[in-house]
Amino acid sequence: MIDVIASEWLKFRSLSSNLYLLACSVAAVLACAGIAFMIGRGFDNQTMEERMAFPGNGDGIGNGIAVAYFVFALLGALAITSEYGTRMIQTSLVAVPRRQVLLLAKVPGLAAVALVAGQVLAFVMHAASMAVLGDRAEQLLRDGVTLGTSLSEPGVLASVVVAGLSMAAVALIGLGVGAAVRSTPGALVVLTVIIVVLPVAARTLPMPLRAQAGSFMIENLPLQIAGVGGGTLPPAAAAGLLVAYVIAALTAGATMIALTGRRIKVLAIGTAAAILVSAVPAAAAGSPDSGPSTLAWADCEDKNLVKQLRCASIKVPVDWAKPSGRTIDLTVGMLPATGAQRRMGTVFAIPGGPGGSGVADLSKNAGSFAELRDRFDVVSVAPRNTIDKGVLPYDCLVSGPWITWPDTRTEYAELGRRNRAAAERCRAADPEFFDHMDSASVARDMEAIRVALGEEKLSFIANSYGGRPGIDYSRLFPGRVRAMVFDGAVSPYMDRAQGRVPHEESFTRFAAWCAATATCALHGQDVGEIWRALVARADRVPVPVEGESPQAAYSGFDIKEAAAPSIISPGPEPEFPRWTELAEAIKRAAGGDASGFADYVRQSTKSPKVPSFTGMNMTHCLDGPGFRDYEEYRDKRREGERLLPNLAGIELWHPLACVGWPAPVTNPPAPLPAKGLPPYLGVGSWTDFEGSADIVRRVPGSAAVQYQGLGHGLYNAGNSCIISHVNRYLISLRLPAPGTVCRKAVT
Amino acid sequence: MRYGDKVAVDDLTFTVKSGLVTGFLGPNGAGKSTTMRAVLGLEVPSAGKALVNGRPYASIPRPMRSIGALLDAGAVHGGRSAYAHLACLARSNGIGRARVADVLDQVGLTDVASRRIGGFSLGMRQRLGIGAALLGDPGVLMLDEPLNGLDPEGIRWLRDLLRSLADEGRTVLLSSHLMNEMALSADHVIVIGRGRLIADTGMDALAGHFQGDVLVRTPLPERLAGVLRAHGAAVVTEEDGALSVRELDAARIGELALSAGIALAELSLRGASLEEAFMRLTEDSTEYRTESGTGTGNRATRKGTVR
Repeated sequence: MIDVIASEWLKFRSLSSNLYLLACSVAAVLACAGIAFMIGRGFDNQTMEERMAFPGNGDGIGNGIAVAYFVFALLGALAITSEYGTRMIQTSLVAVPRRQVLLLAKVPGLAAVALVAGQVLAFVMHAASMAVLGDRAEQLLRDGVTLGTSLSEPGVLASVVVAGLSMAAVALIGLGVGAAVRSTPGALVVLTVIIVVLPVAARTLPMPLRAQAGSFMIENLPLQIAGVGGGTLPPAAAAGLLVAYVIAALTAGATMIALTGRRIKVLAIGTAAAILVSAVPAAAAGSPDSGPSTLAWADCEDKNLVKQLRCASIKVPVDWAKPSGRTIDLTVGMLPATGAQRRMGTVFAIPGGPGGSGVADLSKNAGSFAELRDRFDVVSVAPRNTIDKGVLPYDCLVSGPWITWPDTRTEYAELGRRNRAAAERCRAADPEFFDHMDSASVARDMEAIRVALGEEKLSFIANSYGGRPGIDYSRLFPGRVRAMVFDGAVSPYMDRAQGRVPHEESFTRFAAWCAATATCALHGQDVGEIWRALVARADRVPVPVEGESPQAAYSGFDIKEAAAPSIISPGPEPEFPRWTELAEAIKRAAGGDASGFADYVRQSTKSPKVPSFTGMNMTHCLDGPGFRDYEEYRDKRREGERLLPNLAGIELWHPLACVGWPAPVTNPPAPLPAKGLPPYLGVGSWTDFEGSADIVRRVPGSAAVQYQGLGHGLYNAGNSCIISHVNRYLISLRLPAPGTVCRKAVT
Repeated sequence: MRYGDKVAVDDLTFTVKSGLVTGFLGPNGAGKSTTMRAVLGLEVPSAGKALVNGRPYASIPRPMRSIGALLDAGAVHGGRSAYAHLACLARSNGIGRARVADVLDQVGLTDVASRRIGGFSLGMRQRLGIGAALLGDPGVLMLDEPLNGLDPEGIRWLRDLLRSLADEGRTVLLSSHLMNEMALSADHVIVIGRGRLIADTGMDALAGHFQGDVLVRTPLPERLAGVLRAHGAAVVTEEDGALSVRELDAARIGELALSAGIALAELSLRGASLEEAFMRLTEDSTEYRTESGTGTGNRATRKGTVR
């Protein structure tokens, strides 16, 4: 056998045409460089937002790999078809009459050349792509990858090496096909079908068939083996498949080269081997992290939701202390994984509010999850505290008392009586349910959903107040957290006044904008002075809302609470409509009429002043932001007045709503476990970054990214830069470097 | 052994002796190549076995050391040099490089050893093929139509080479469809037609078996014919009036003419060509024949196809 192998090596070496053919593989490098050039040019001509939506070019080999495969397949095929073409095979068979030996003896030499040449080619192709992309390669994209991936990125070295190995595999496939077909043109046709026609045909299929068929194409196996995309197969199965293809092709060749009558045995052995190496890893790789879901997914009953959303129902106990007691049904929603890539698991989007429906959010923000869904099912829930759940009267939950800023112990007690009366009105419909609206119960509901999904672990995006159930889940089920993102979350650990400092900064920006903008109603005046004078005067003598019946009047505290949302969310540039509206309202209020505020407050709350929604307080007040007593309130108020020259008091608005609350605090803030949690990611805007950053600071190894702009709920809102960092973290658990920021997209 | 419904070789048994150059003769399509290919395992007989030294060819380790074969001088890759071609074959049977150089020298290709075979003439390719057969210094040589394409000098060289190989005690079998070539090359001849054995005989015996006649020209052909017939000769008058005489040798014819007082214009011995003998032998078995009956039809179409 050694002699024959050496002889075949000599045969291969002594044909200079093989060298010329190998030289043709430089075309693959040109293809990589050429397409990278086109991508780079397209990239340069797009806006930042459009650039972020580019698909990643990965290791850059994919664009030329079909060319490389063609060369190597031809190299392999010619090793045998040239013998048939020249009738040399007859001479060879007289010298080596054992036919399978003759065929298989070609393997080592061919494989050795292809292994070396494949590696060289793969690295040159990668280097060419990266060189042409240049700095652009580092751009992080919405799908969580950079435009180009350098060898230092995880899995990329492996994917390049495996791409080179796959070229050797393709050379052997070419040899097998050549032996089976016995003619160079015939082999060319078959190999063209395998390397070019089938992958192109697969791309014309509808999803998810396209992804499934594509996963089996040779060109997509290297990425799958390296575990960096390419399709739906797990690495072991993809590797097994590549080897099986080689065995299958060589089997076909060995079968056809055998003399008639001896073929069945060869065919049987080869087929068995091919099935073995492909089926065993595929079976072994059957995702152990995901069991079957016990949820009955169906179309959602609410026809206002997007069609792609699937819904299911789950029963959870009202009181988790009595798991076998009374239950309620929760609606779970899912944007299913597209199947474009191997499914990695489930991302649970925790809705904010409290009181928001995660199912409605998924529907509204489905576009933001498009890239994530290539690898994850995205699941959310209309949690127990969803205000339109129907158990408690909706109208009651979306209304509430007007909160005042008590100056005396008596006023504090009066506020408590008003709060309690409002709470009791809603609570009466179902006191047991009303008293179990805390975020820990919401977190336990999420755990029930995890179990029903059959997932070993979950990844989370906690949005706004959803941060609180996210924290409680982390405390209660730390081992079930694969990853967690806090987006504009409120930190229960943070001093409230401290947390509002960014609002002060926003106020400063508003004032600066007004000074610079002629259309601002207060243009040319000192906005800060006007504002402070207005709120001070209104706290002494409230500013009436003209034409309002019954009579309503804005205290300074009311004005701050009504203005705060507009201050931090001015609306789209360059008009900043809510700042424009706010300046007008301030101007009118300074003139003695608060209807500028009342007008827009009424639009969103149906109340002339901002009510304290019972539907939010029923969760807030159990989660423990309230005051122990009047003294604590007084101290906190002083602290706020020191820190917040323009907006003091707004930090106390939510805690004040819990004065006199009928249900006890059942879920006070508690520290996150010191060990056992994976690193987290916090994201946020100018105004809500600090909360997220404060939470993740408490989990070792975590990171935070600030968007240097305004907004709240950045991922849901489709902020591409934030989405790119979050997706990268959720997909590969890689966190941005310390100090990473997202700059506002320059258009 | 069949191709489709056509029997190529049918129950063919013969022995090739060592120390002799044995010719393997038959018209085109008689089954010569098929027989050789069956021996080398390139064809599978539909019944029976082709064994070499008692075992199937395919089971012989390093078979080139036992049998040297040339089936088709064109069965080479034109892109290789003569040296590389032989070196590849030699390596597969564990034969050293030195032997490659020796063989190249022996077949007279040393000067062109580094040239691509693609540029070789048919004669050079024959030499290369013979060189390949000699590589393993085998005890048995089996050459299919080795004289094709060789120039007269080449033919003489090959005859001498085969003779010397046979003299060393080797077994040499060479096929041809041309009897005349064989007459000078072979000691023994095996003739087949339509896959069946027709003759297995020494070359001398074959020639003797088909003796020639004596050509006689005379102004009095009828009279002489009468005299000769009276002495037991078989006489045929040819178109130009010459007499073809058998059963009497030339000397006796001269004597009889002299005693009868008949002048002779010509008296010559006409040797029967081996070609003619071969033609007569195989008349009934020629597979492909043109209308004139010369027996030069197409070569067996399947030749050179490895199945």
